[in-house]
Amino acid sequence: MSDIQQFLLDYDRNKREASQVAQKSATRLADGDLKLLMLIEELGEYFNSEDGAVRSKAMAYLAEVLGFVPPKVLSLQQRNLLCDFILSRTEDGEGIGSCAKALLALEERGKWDNGRVQDIMETLLANTSPLRQYKQQSERYPVLRLIDALLARYRDALRTLHDSKPDFLSRFIAYFDGEKDPRNLMVVFSILRVPMTEWDVGADAQDLFDAVFNYFPITFRPPPDDPYGITAQDLKDRLRECISSTADFAPYAFPALLDKLDSTSMNTKRDVLHTIISSVKEYGPRTVSLYSITLWDALKFEILNVQEEDLAEEALDGLAAIAQTLSQGTNGPLNAYLRPIIKECNEHLEDAPTKQSQAAARILSRIANVSPDVTNLLLAGILPTMFTLFQSADNMAKRRGLLEVLVQLIKANIDVYGDWRSTGSAGAAAPNNALSQYRDQALDIVLHGLETSPINNVSYRLVCADGLLQLSKVRELLNEDDIGKIIQLLHAIVIHEESFGKDEIKESAINSLVEIAHQKPQVVIDKAFPAFMAQLPDTDEGSKGHVAVLEAFAKLASEEKVFDTVILRLKNKFSAAVSQNASSGYIVALLSAILYALTKGSSKLEQDPNTSTYYQDIVLPLLKRTSSTDGSHPVAFDNETTLDLVGRICNIVVRSQSAEKQEEIASELYTLFRNTPQAELPPFSISAPLETHRTMIVSTHLLASFRKETRLPCEIELLVSSLANYTQQPDLSISVRSVSLRQLSLVINKFYSAAALKTCMDPLMNAPFELFSPEKLDPPRIRIIFACLKGILLRSSPVLAKLYPQLLGFLSHQKYGTVIAHGFSTLLQPDDLLTKQNHCQISGLHKQKSFALLVPNITQAFRDASTETRPNYLIALSGILRWLPFDIVIEEVPSLILLLLQSLDLKGEDFVKEAAIGTLASTLREKPEVVQEHAGSLISRLLANSVVNKESPSPARVRAAACRCLMLVPDKLKLEVVLPYRRQVCKKLTAALDDGKREVRSAAVRCRARWLDVDEAGDDD
Amino acid sequence: MDDKQNANPTILSLSDLPSRRRESNVKRRDDGATGLFDDLIPQYSYLNDPFEQPLSSSDSDDGSVEDIDEQEVYDLISSISDPEHPLSLGSLAVVNLPDIHIQPPSSPHSSISTVLVEITPTITHCSLATVIGLGVRVRLEQALPPRFRVDVRIKKGTHSTDEAVNKQLGDKERVAAALENGTLMGVLRKMLSTCE
Repeated sequence: MSDIQQFLLDYDRNKREASQVAQKSATRLADGDLKLLMLIEELGEYFNSEDGAVRSKAMAYLAEVLGFVPPKVLSLQQRNLLCDFILSRTEDGEGIGSCAKALLALEERGKWDNGRVQDIMETLLANTSPLRQYKQQSERYPVLRLIDALLARYRDALRTLHDSKPDFLSRFIAYFDGEKDPRNLMVVFSILRVPMTEWDVGADAQDLFDAVFNYFPITFRPPPDDPYGITAQDLKDRLRECISSTADFAPYAFPALLDKLDSTSMNTKRDVLHTIISSVKEYGPRTVSLYSITLWDALKFEILNVQEEDLAEEALDGLAAIAQTLSQGTNGPLNAYLRPIIKECNEHLEDAPTKQSQAAARILSRIANVSPDVTNLLLAGILPTMFTLFQSADNMAKRRGLLEVLVQLIKANIDVYGDWRSTGSAGAAAPNNALSQYRDQALDIVLHGLETSPINNVSYRLVCADGLLQLSKVRELLNEDDIGKIIQLLHAIVIHEESFGKDEIKESAINSLVEIAHQKPQVVIDKAFPAFMAQLPDTDEGSKGHVAVLEAFAKLASEEKVFDTVILRLKNKFSAAVSQNASSGYIVALLSAILYALTKGSSKLEQDPNTSTYYQDIVLPLLKRTSSTDGSHPVAFDNETTLDLVGRICNIVVRSQSAEKQEEIASELYTLFRNTPQAELPPFSISAPLETHRTMIVSTHLLASFRKETRLPCEIELLVSSLANYTQQPDLSISVRSVSLRQLSLVINKFYSAAALKTCMDPLMNAPFELFSPEKLDPPRIRIIFACLKGILLRSSPVLAKLYPQLLGFLSHQKYGTVIAHGFSTLLQPDDLLTKQNHCQISGLHKQKSFALLVPNITQAFRDASTETRPNYLIALSGILRWLPFDIVIEEVPSLILLLLQSLDLKGEDFVKEAAIGTLASTLREKPEVVQEHAGSLISRLLANSVVNKESPSPARVRAAACRCLMLVPDKLKLEVVLPYRRQVCKKLTAALDDGKREVRSAAVRCRARWLDVDEAGDDD
Repeated sequence: MDDKQNANPTILSLSDLPSRRRESNVKRRDDGATGLFDDLIPQYSYLNDPFEQPLSSSDSDDGSVEDIDEQEVYDLISSISDPEHPLSLGSLAVVNLPDIHIQPPSSPHSSISTVLVEITPTITHCSLATVIGLGVRVRLEQALPPRFRVDVRIKKGTHSTDEAVNKQLGDKERVAAALENGTLMGVLRKMLSTCE
């Protein structure tokens, strides 16, 4: 049997086998076993068949063979002959798709000359136009691909064809008429785009436009499981590119588009607006100037009468795009476009604040930052009227509405002209800024407004303050005197004005000062700093206003240009206050301010190695005052909270220094520059005097700041055992004990090598200490266990696999099982000392590791546990879960769900309940199918926890959380699951509506509203 | 809905609307501080020692009762959307805090309080005033505990037919009948969908 016979047999049965036959023929051609002539001769019989299907399949065979033939097998002459032959076959109505495929295959095997290309194009147009006569998409598609390829590779040839034959383009356009398949349309659009953008279309412009606009708007919706992956968006994008491709379309495009803008379909309007925007961007200023006012008249309605917010946004973008395009041309058309806009906006501003004045403000602010010309024209058109309106306004609300527009215009002006530190979009060589003409008037209004209007006019004064800030930022607008005036007014508000409401004005004033400090640091230092300092006495006489001033002053440190000065002034003030015996409250406030300022500038400290001045000037004196017992020791330093502040200040300065530098202090870690030997001080000496215990707070913060290479003042084993002994002392204060335990975590986390870490607990576990002995267990020892584990688990050490099982074993401990269970919540709790900034070793996966080692074992042990000890497992579980991101938990959730539900029944364990509700809520959000089957028990338990229960009252937090979680249920579970509970939920929640706490009531209202909606949502479906 | 009766209503700024956030978040201190320095020492590290405090549930529950007051009623209804505009009744000044009155139970034996809400239509001939009143009423009946009686009226002198509308809103049977009407419920649901 010949190949063609085999092919025909296989073709209908199995396309792949047919292809293999064609491939075999191709190989034989390449090897010389088969002559091309023979192949064609064999085909002849079938090409002449009466049956169209056979002819078509014969062409398919030829196309496939040509597709498989390796390059260079066919000579130029052979290819030409084949080409002629195949072209002649296009007269036959059958197999046109295969003809195109075969031609494409030939083209890939050798470039054509221009004559050949023109011949192919003309023949196609003559024999196969219009293409829609071929009913099968698969027939038309290769033809379109062929034409697309011709346009891509032989542009000149086709262009010459167009230039030499006047009727070519109209025939070409008509050829694609009536195409409906989205896959083909994608190609048609890209084909037609070539003449649109590159050819002189002349009289055919309208036909060409109609050829694509007929498809507007695209309403295609891909079938489910669409194998071709063409979305409506793809089609819309291509169509839009076509419409916007040439300015020749403008006379047809804009009227047609605006006509469709009246459509009632939001999607159509959205498409229209998108298309208008891209057309405006592409058509160029000359064309756009002809339509700009028409467009304005149409687009403004979308903004003045908002139907959908995103349509208004698009319309605004459209208006801005027109201004942008016109800015590229001469001034006349731009002026003509802006004039009606200015007129209309001015009219709307007359009755501010209304919906339409707000819309006018939106329009102005969106257009104004387009170019220097636009912003200048708008300012000249709007501001004079606005100032008149402002002066004649009879109420504050109107004035506020007007000033809001002013502020928007100034902001836009900054976008264009830049601020003091950087140029704007117009660059350095921008033309004059028209704002300078109105500078004095604008400054006068906002300055006066902020200064003289009553303090209860909050929103008005906020706008004024914003106006001042923006004015002070505009590049080269105000002189330093004017900025000085603004600064004076702002700091006067911060310092002297009496407090009102939420103090929004004060907050805005100080934030503005920070921003001005960014622009003009020296002016702020000269004008505002003395005023602040004058308010801060060296010693206070019980007055308390200084805290507010200190807060404001410390905020200025967040601007790096003034950071150093802020710190310097605060430090001097602190020294003065201490030497003048100021009150403890004042000293604490000063320390807080220093710490706050350092925190704000901590990034600067890290970059700047020159922090040693802070070390000399701040850290050393503080440490000496801490440990001293003479007159230099302020009474405030006897307070544990103060020492905590001191410790944190030292920490933040020391932690960015090098290990060598740190060692200077490391040797004084416990002695703190006093003359007592280390061995007589805590934690090494238990019997040390009371005041020495407090300094452990500062030592802990210092230790936290050390790099792990820094040498400690004693052997690490000694330190660990001393700390373990020390923390067990019964008379330690809570904070001293807490920091000592954290010191233990820090030492273990930072200073053991990975190998030593595995055995680091052995000294404590072995006799005589026997930390893990069940008989010796007591609360102090339990704390030590958790402190040590905390240091280890952050490093994900393998030794955890040995330690955790022992810990889990204690959950069934007769006496201390519950205490141990509560301890689990400390394991993964975030800690502000054990952090990366403090050079701790924190493995990225430590949470996963602990989760994997603990949680499955807890669920397992829970099943085997006795009724009395079961709550311990639930408590431990929630202690772990509450600190875990949900994506770690999600895989295990199905096995946890029953435990979580039982946690909701616990009595008195509110943290446990809260954590359980949190996890259940996350489960509902991320993996609702897990909860589905437990819907009944989930709903009833949440209900029970959302109302006040006399026997075991749960706190408001839990009640509100239960309501919020319950609100998720109807959103996340299937309607048929939820519907049966609707009555019950709505009825029971009525009680929560009368809860004593507002937080619960508001959660209950929302939850109940959601549930009331349940059956109604069902009606819609 | 295209022919709006009042296409260009006056709008209040959000920061001027009465809000509880204003006072309660900031507990006024005697030293005038704003609490900027309070977080310098994180709270959880010291306070949340689970061994030390065997879980008293008292932290936020000091037993004090926060009564339902006018502001709370305002918060419930000010976020309802106007049927004409995508704006809230609060920002259109249709509902105003001073026009909400809670009357305590008339006798010590009764537990029934009354909430009186007077609404101000944006224009005097607004035919949607009834719908707005109905929306407010439905919202309050859903959100307040049953011991409250809800009374919604048009503020005197702000509407051309206020008495007729008030009669409609006060008539229990007509309200119930209105709620059976599917189209009307659709409008109401849309109004209430923006409630917080």
